[in-house]
Amino acid sequence: MKKTLLILLATLFAVSLVNAQAVAKKKANKDTERFRYEIECAGNGAQGTFLVKVWSYSKKKQVAADQCLKNAVHGIIFKGYSGANGCVAQRPLVTNPGVEMEYEDYFKSFFDSKDGNFRRYASALNGTYETVKVGKEYKIGTVISVRKDELRKALEQAGVIKALNAGF
Amino acid sequence: MKKFILSALFLAASLVAFSQAKKPTLMVVPSDNWCNNNGFLEDYDTGGRVVRVPDYRKALQENTDLNLAISTLNNLMAERDFPLKDLEQTLKNLQQSQTEEMFTQSKSGLELAESPIDRLLRTAKADIIIYLNWDVKTTGPKKTLTYILEAKDAYTGKSVASAQGVGSPSFAAEVPVLLQEAVIANIDNFNANLQRHFEDMFANGREIALEIRVFQGNALGVDLETEFDSGTELSEIIDQWMYDNTVAHRFSKLNMTENFMSYEQVRIPLYNDNGMAMDAEMWGRQLRNVLRKAPYNLPVKLMNRGLGKVVLVLGDK
Repeated sequence: MKKTLLILLATLFAVSLVNAQAVAKKKANKDTERFRYEIECAGNGAQGTFLVKVWSYSKKKQVAADQCLKNAVHGIIFKGYSGANGCVAQRPLVTNPGVEMEYEDYFKSFFDSKDGNFRRYASALNGTYETVKVGKEYKIGTVISVRKDELRKALEQAGVIKALNAGF
Repeated sequence: MKKFILSALFLAASLVAFSQAKKPTLMVVPSDNWCNNNGFLEDYDTGGRVVRVPDYRKALQENTDLNLAISTLNNLMAERDFPLKDLEQTLKNLQQSQTEEMFTQSKSGLELAESPIDRLLRTAKADIIIYLNWDVKTTGPKKTLTYILEAKDAYTGKSVASAQGVGSPSFAAEVPVLLQEAVIANIDNFNANLQRHFEDMFANGREIALEIRVFQGNALGVDLETEFDSGTELSEIIDQWMYDNTVAHRFSKLNMTENFMSYEQVRIPLYNDNGMAMDAEMWGRQLRNVLRKAPYNLPVKLMNRGLGKVVLVLGDK
């Protein structure tokens, strides 16, 4: 009887743990679904890359930190960034504002937190994070290197943007 | 059956080939301002009047930074599947063909025919010229690089893309490093402008220039004020043809006299009625064919000036 009770408790604990993780993930996605972030130039990257500093927002520090990669890739595709301190301003890869809606399914899968392809095109540069408490939220900033040439090619292959030589 | 399948395949392949618009050639050259600042201009006598023209060959032979910048641009454009025409190689090819032509003779001793215009046209040409300019300002140990990259349509003279700026001041980096950084940092914005130009071309037709001239003292005594069709002047007839044969009737008449007429911002379709990719020469040929037929019956000489310019000379061949 005691044994059965122990097994039952262990099972319940495991289920609640998995459930908590799923809830945290869902929350992370919810927090960043609207892609609330700031992006700025962080210097001249190596050839084929952009070096950006991304500030992500969430009530939980870890959630905001986790979403920085996703936000950096989103920023390069849809926002671009302004130039300052010797940086050259860069336009977004997508210039047509309707594209995000037109390719909604593609981007939903691309930015999926679990197995989205966005991870292939970005990496945190030094793994250090700056934290600022803004009201009830945390604003977490880190420097990300985005492989923009590879990202552009992937978007061209998916038909989201046109190649420079398209039509010739 | 086999024959039918083969014919169908051939037709499909032809359609695919025709559906590609004619690709413009791009070439990077140092700007006149850079050539002047670095002592790469040469004097050129054009019938008693001396003009100063860039000496690209000398610049490429003597300035390593220029070679580096051009090579970096070439690499970056090749990565975007849009390789550039290399200035140095083009100049070498021109020299090689000039040397070969000097020694080319037929078995009976005839030399190759060459008119003065043939000689003039034998220069390094491209449809879009990318002018590169940079300057390094030194304040104490600090170096700052200013750069300008500007692409111009060789026929209309219009600026189709540009990128410019001032790099961040550096104490340690050498000029070639600063230059390479500037090119790499600006290429995406430059290409975005270039792509917009191409998209405009696909949407509104290729922009070309047309010149119509008259051979002086031609046997027919024809000029642009000669009247046909019960009192309509030839220039008006050509205007009407332009209206009927341009995309959305878009063209601007720049100048007109009885001997000379020039049109700019002429938007021509990218493909003809058969789906074949069209350039300025093919489009100009249609006008020439109209003028050759009755009631005009005019001999017309057509001169091709690349993808974007054509010259028709009336009254002789």
